Amino acid sequence: MSRYAVNSLLYRLKKDPDYRARFMADPGAALADADLTDAERAAFVARDMRTINELGGYLHLVMSIPGLAAH
Amino acid sequence: MGRLVFAGAMSHVLDPDYYDRACGAVGRQKVTDAMAAIARMGERFSATRADALVVVADDHLNAFSFTCVPAMCVRIGRRVQRMVQDHAEAFDKVLDHMPVTYPLHEELASAILEQGLGAGFDLALSWEAPVDHAFLSPVNTMHGPRPIPPLVPIWINCFVAPQPTARRCFALGQHIARVVAKSPWNVGIIATGGLSHFPELALSRVGETDVVFDRKLIHWMERGEHAPLLDLSADELHKSGSHEFLNWMVLLGAVTPARAEVRYFGELPRINLAAVEWQLP
Repeated sequence: MSRYAVNSLLYRLKKDPDYRARFMADPGAALADADLTDAERAAFVARDMRTINELGGYLHLVMSIPGLAAH
Repeated sequence: MGRLVFAGAMSHVLDPDYYDRACGAVGRQKVTDAMAAIARMGERFSATRADALVVVADDHLNAFSFTCVPAMCVRIGRRVQRMVQDHAEAFDKVLDHMPVTYPLHEELASAILEQGLGAGFDLALSWEAPVDHAFLSPVNTMHGPRPIPPLVPIWINCFVAPQPTARRCFALGQHIARVVAKSPWNVGIIATGGLSHFPELALSRVGETDVVFDRKLIHWMERGEHAPLLDLSADELHKSGSHEFLNWMVLLGAVTPARAEVRYFGELPRINLAAVEWQLP
């Protein structure tokens, strides 16, 4: 599990609106260079915040990314 | 010779709409009651005409990126900005209506920092970090339309393991009290966050709290018995969802052995809302 990669990606999605827009349009392409495991990549592509949290994504990030937040 | 003239601690998402969405009408009602208690605390603080307000709170991965996560950080400089988040959601949205810029008490912040380094507290410093709801929701609720005095924001890393220990946070509070006592200023201090919510920081457990744990904390604070709190472990705080009690530990160190008086405690599925004030000598 690459906890740092998951969280740095969550942080970028929250704080970088341009990157977030690219992710929304094509998650697979936006994640092409991300250093993720297959499970992590699948969770991001599915926008599955619960699984991302279980994989080590910090709760306050998964609850507050505009357009992606779990409540 | 300076002194602490006010000490209070409170929950820090203070927004009726947020709790209406999270818990329904009962959430709106309870946070409205909590906010009223905190506003009355603010009136008592304003009556002290304090020179500064120290605010001990945590970052929610907003101010500090993964470039660096300081265990304890003092905000220096002359002004601080509120965090800006595009299309803010959840607790970030609480900030939307708040003033953008706040004055800082540069001399007190620098004294806490410099004397801290001299005394063995390897505090981080920041000139640029913005403050999020953890600081500004309580400060604005306390003050309403009244002027806000110069702030000294201090961050405690409550969420990114490994966190500082409860004992070390308490010691930082003792250090702050010593700095204030040697200063020419009258100072208020608040700690924010909590009480129990988000156990284990698991999305699957959002909506659970640990009331028994919180009542234990309140019992010790009301009695002014702080020794048992020094041994709170990171594991206990994580499992009970009391991560942010580390901020309260700093305040307890600053006021020990003063006794707490509970101004509001309200149980909700999402969080136990609290507002507590200390009777200072």
